[in-house]
Amino acid sequence: MMSFISPRLRKPVGIAVAGAVFAAAWLVRGGPLWWVSIPVVIATAARAVSWYRMGGDDTDEGALAGSRADERQQLVSLRSRALACNLAVVAAFAGLTAAVALKASWWWPFVVILAVAGFGYLLGLSTYSIADEDPANDDEDAGQQARPPVNR
Amino acid sequence: MRNRVREQRTQRGLSQAELAAALGVSRQTVISIEGGRYLPSLPLAFAIARFFDLTVDKMFDPDGEEAGA
Repeated sequence: MMSFISPRLRKPVGIAVAGAVFAAAWLVRGGPLWWVSIPVVIATAARAVSWYRMGGDDTDEGALAGSRADERQQLVSLRSRALACNLAVVAAFAGLTAAVALKASWWWPFVVILAVAGFGYLLGLSTYSIADEDPANDDEDAGQQARPPVNR
Repeated sequence: MRNRVREQRTQRGLSQAELAAALGVSRQTVISIEGGRYLPSLPLAFAIARFFDLTVDKMFDPDGEEAGA
């Protein structure tokens, strides 16, 4: 579906959809805090517009915001996301440890975060590793002994 | 790893933006490759070498030290 949307619009549209869903959640929740959905919509619109404008910049950030990143910029983004995930896992572990020490009842969200991160990592290994490739391409599986590298 | 991208580009009187457009990458990536801060993928290395009518091993020297590295 995203291919039908102009690259520069993809991230702003994603932000707008996420913000609209979050604002709708506040409306569905109802009660005296229904009005929170209004600032959510305003903040979402402002963020979507700022990402659209950034998408026109001739910078790495602009290329990522405009969904036109080349291989280096995609690698930078990938490493940044891996770092963010590592930090989230460390923070979740620290939170879980604190919750256990304090005998608090709010330990389980940290377990959920750690479980999702662990599952995501295993999913990544099974998706991107060579394990699911054709065994015929593997010397070891094909019964051929791997030769040691030749010294120059 | 030393490379001859900047040398070849300036010899041909090209700007970094022109080379980037020809290779289909960003100007920032050309700057990073020239500065030795980014090693291009094999397809991009071949594209660079082909663009300058050189072989990959003439374009990129794995034994060479980047100036200032």
